[in-house]
Amino acid sequence: MIETDVLVVGAGPAGSTAAKHAALGGAKVILVDKKSEIGSPKRCAEGVSKKGLKKLGIEPNPRFIAKELDGVRLVSPNGTDVWMTSEEIELPEAGYILERKVFDKFMAMDAARAGAEIKVKTLVTDVIKSEEGYIVTCESMGKEFDIKCKILIAADGPESHVGRWAGLKTSQKAVHMESGIQYEMCNLHFERDGVIEFYFGSCAPGGYVWVFPKGDDIANVGLAVIAPKADKPAIEYLDDFVSKSPITKDGQAVEINVGGDPVGGMPKKIYDDHIMVVGDAAGQVNPLTGGGIISGMTGGMYAGQVAAEAIKDGNYSSKYLKKYDTLVRDDIGHEIKKYSIVQEYLLTLNDEELDEIAAEFQNVNFSKVSTTQLIKNLIKISPKAALKLGKIFL
Amino acid sequence: MIVKDWCSYCGECAGVCPRNLITVKEYSLEFKDDECKDCSTCILACPISALEKE
Repeated sequence: MIETDVLVVGAGPAGSTAAKHAALGGAKVILVDKKSEIGSPKRCAEGVSKKGLKKLGIEPNPRFIAKELDGVRLVSPNGTDVWMTSEEIELPEAGYILERKVFDKFMAMDAARAGAEIKVKTLVTDVIKSEEGYIVTCESMGKEFDIKCKILIAADGPESHVGRWAGLKTSQKAVHMESGIQYEMCNLHFERDGVIEFYFGSCAPGGYVWVFPKGDDIANVGLAVIAPKADKPAIEYLDDFVSKSPITKDGQAVEINVGGDPVGGMPKKIYDDHIMVVGDAAGQVNPLTGGGIISGMTGGMYAGQVAAEAIKDGNYSSKYLKKYDTLVRDDIGHEIKKYSIVQEYLLTLNDEELDEIAAEFQNVNFSKVSTTQLIKNLIKISPKAALKLGKIFL
Repeated sequence: MIVKDWCSYCGECAGVCPRNLITVKEYSLEFKDDECKDCSTCILACPISALEKE
C-alpha cells in the first residue's frame, strides 16, 4: 500500500493549487487525476480576472493566456446592448481568457515542482475511512492499488463522489446545477476586439449565452441553462443562437465542450475528520457568472495550507480542519451568498423586463466594469431590483 | 440506462444524481442500475441528450 500525508483527488486548478500549497508547507503529497491529459477536455469558458490571478500569486504567462480582455458587452433579448469597453469608460484591470489545456498543466507542474507526486489516468473507485485517515482505492492502466493518507482533499469536480463517499452532503440539486455546452469556434465576426459578450433571457433559461474571445476570429461560444427551467436540451439552445447570431453566421466549431456548473453555493459542511472538499466539488463557484477558476483555486490554496499545518501538528480532526472552512468562507463565502441572491432575482425577470433594464443601462455612466458595479447600477434603475438587492449591495 | 455514443463523459449526470449512482470514467459511464429509482434527473440534465432509459 502506498502511504502519503495528503492525497488530492482531481488535478483541476483547485486540486493542483491544494497540492502545491500542501507540498510547499512540507507535507508529502500525491495528486491523482482520472484523465490521461490534465486540463483536457476543458469544461469551461476560460475567463479569469487579472485581480484573481494576482491574488493567487500567479504570473500571467503568454503560453496560457489566449486573450487579454478589453471590456464587456451585455445584450438583452431584443438585441439592446450595453458596451463597457475602453472606448466608453476608463477600464480598471479587467481579465484574460485562458487556454485551460495549458493553464491546468501549468498549475499541476507548479504542484509537482513544489514536491507533489502526480498520477494521471488514475481513477478513485472507493474511499474507506480508517482510524489514521482514509484508504483510497485507485484504478490505473488495469491495475488496482490503495493509497493510505492522513488527509484527503476532494477536488473531483461537479460530479464529486469523494466527498459524498466520505459522508458529506456535497451533491447539488438539479435546480442548482447548470447544464453547460460550448463550441470553440473560428471564422467569427466581432464588432470589437477583446470584448466578452453576454446574452440574457429566453435564449438560455436560468443562465446566459457567452461569447469569450480567444483570438482575432476565435471564441468560446456557449451557454448554460438550468435543466428544470428549460424545455429542450442545452445543445438545442446553443444551436439556435449560433444559427441566428451575426457573430457566428460563418462560424465553424473546432471543439465541443459540455459539463455541469454547480451554482448552488457552498454546502454547509465541506470538511470533516481527515477530509476537505475544494473547488467545484465544494460549490466554490460564483452563482451569478458560473465562474469558478479563481474561487476554486482560493479554496484549494486554503485547504493545502491547512493540510500542511495539520500534518505538522499531527492533528487531522474535524475541529482542526474547520480552519479551512473559516478561511474560505471569510474570503469568498460572502460573495457567493450575495451573488446567489442576485441570481435568484435575475431568474424572476422575463424578456421584457430584461429589455427595459438594458434600455435604462444605456444611460448609465459606468465607472468601472465589475459585477458589483453592474448590480449597483441595476439597483439604481430598477425599483424591483432595489427592493430585492438594495440591502445587500448599497 | 442507455448511454449514447456521443456522450462526452462530462459528469453532469453524476453531479445531479440524487443517489450518487453514476461513476464517470475517462471514456465510460457506470450506472448502478439496480439501485436507480427512475427519477430521470440525469436524463434531463444532460446538455446533449446522451442518456435514455432502457
